[in-house]
Amino acid sequence: MKDRKNMTGLQKTKSFFIGVPIAVWMIVVVIIPVLIMLSMSFRVKLAPQVVSPISLGNYIEFFKRPIYWKLFLKSLRISLMVSFVAIISSYPLAYFISRKLKRFRNLLFMLIITPLWVSYLIRIIAWRTILGNKGLFNLILIKIGIIQEPIRLFLYNQFAVIITLAYIAIPFVFIPLYTALEKIPKNLIDASIDLGANEIKTLMRIIIPLSSPGLITGFMLSFIIALGDYIIPQQIGGSGGMMYGNIVWSQFGIISNWHLGAALGFILFATAAVIIGLVRKFGSREGVYM
Amino acid sequence: MKDVKRKKRRKRKLPIPYLGIYTALMYIFLYVPLVVVVLFSFSATKTTVKFGHFSTEWYVRLFNDPNLIKALFHSFEIGIVSVLIAIALGTSGALFIVRKQFFGKDVFLTLSQLPILLPGIIIGIALLMFFVNLHVSLSRLTILAGHVAITTPFVMFQVASRLQRLGTSYEDASKDLGAKPIKTFILVTLPMIKTAIIGGGLLAFTISFDEIIITYFLTGTWMTLPVYIYGMMRFGLTPQVYAISAIILVFSVVFIFFMARFTGTKAEEAER
Repeated sequence: MKDRKNMTGLQKTKSFFIGVPIAVWMIVVVIIPVLIMLSMSFRVKLAPQVVSPISLGNYIEFFKRPIYWKLFLKSLRISLMVSFVAIISSYPLAYFISRKLKRFRNLLFMLIITPLWVSYLIRIIAWRTILGNKGLFNLILIKIGIIQEPIRLFLYNQFAVIITLAYIAIPFVFIPLYTALEKIPKNLIDASIDLGANEIKTLMRIIIPLSSPGLITGFMLSFIIALGDYIIPQQIGGSGGMMYGNIVWSQFGIISNWHLGAALGFILFATAAVIIGLVRKFGSREGVYM
Repeated sequence: MKDVKRKKRRKRKLPIPYLGIYTALMYIFLYVPLVVVVLFSFSATKTTVKFGHFSTEWYVRLFNDPNLIKALFHSFEIGIVSVLIAIALGTSGALFIVRKQFFGKDVFLTLSQLPILLPGIIIGIALLMFFVNLHVSLSRLTILAGHVAITTPFVMFQVASRLQRLGTSYEDASKDLGAKPIKTFILVTLPMIKTAIIGGGLLAFTISFDEIIITYFLTGTWMTLPVYIYGMMRFGLTPQVYAISAIILVFSVVFIFFMARFTGTKAEEAER
């Protein structure tokens, strides 16, 4: 660029000033808070207002006490299931809309995105209503006559948590899936058909592999959403549906052991960071700026 | 041979006919909960789940709840301010990452996406510990900080996408004609990214207005609407919750239409 060569060193440095606000933002809201969280995690709370010097005590607690690591594993499992449910239910949808429809594509796409912008809390309230003891599900079943009394098992368990989390995750999963599927050139599909493959085969051999960046990104989004959530397990999960997020959250409540909370939180952070890092390597390379 | 194949292709209908039905069912699944909320907001019974007769009692009660109205205004306040800040930070940031090359750009990009990729609880507790260590008490400012943290990346990446698609040719032409950088920015760049900024801003506002996961950790006594609703959910679900939910729902849908108009590619083409 010819103006680059003509710029003096000072001018070049000055032109980087445009990045100062965003750099400050990054330091203040991302880097420093995480570092503080990390440093707090290395001190153990011995008594109210009393903290130990640097120690791994909190992390040892995590591995020693089953309530922590077992709950973490349980959350990993639940998050995996949520992601599977979300992907499997979204994929046919994305496939149908992106490849089969011409006229209403944009409208249908927007209609899937719309629930995203309806308050998260409202959607949770809705599911509490539907699944509850006196809720919609039970009302309908009683009216049809399948059962006489409401079934208690729809709400306050893992099943309810998985459904609700999947419900929240589906729009997030749909977007990368749709984007990936949309990008597959039609001539590849045509070539596959010309070579004699039926639709199922084309799907398995061509479409799914080509859409894998979208699959990976969608899976990651859903997984992380599920892993760190504390509101849905709290409102919908009861004691059976408790997740790791609950126990991190509770450290900042009455228990007031922020240092342990920092450590537990950092474990969650590290897990999420690793997943994000892996996905960046193998996930969608398109859209560097999303 | 070729004719036979061509005939086959034309005759080929949707081999997976159930896809259409499945899609319809999925849409129903996605929207039934929302419909339920609206329905129940008009139900007259006190128990929150059994449907009674039609009544607007809860809407009336809603408007007579001063704390709720206050929380609503607070949410607007935070939303508008955080969007303005996010636009300032995000636009300058977008210009920075798209137009400047520097060492460690990949890391920079990843770091700037962290607030929206990471679980909200992490951001929430990290910021909480940050403020407490600085002896800053929880107030509207701490909430604002949290909202700026998660809205800025959205604006930045919206604008960055647009900047990248536009290319540097217009700005180069302007500089060739002798305009100083600031003039170029105001007269050339800014009009071209206008709708990206507005779209990003609308997106940021929606996110801020609905934000609870992070906000919960950063709230003192000054509440936003989601915090208030969350309180209602935890300590006693009254039917007013349905009423406020239905209202928010309607506004969200309207809002989305506005957003769609500003961020569509048609708008982008019109700008050129």
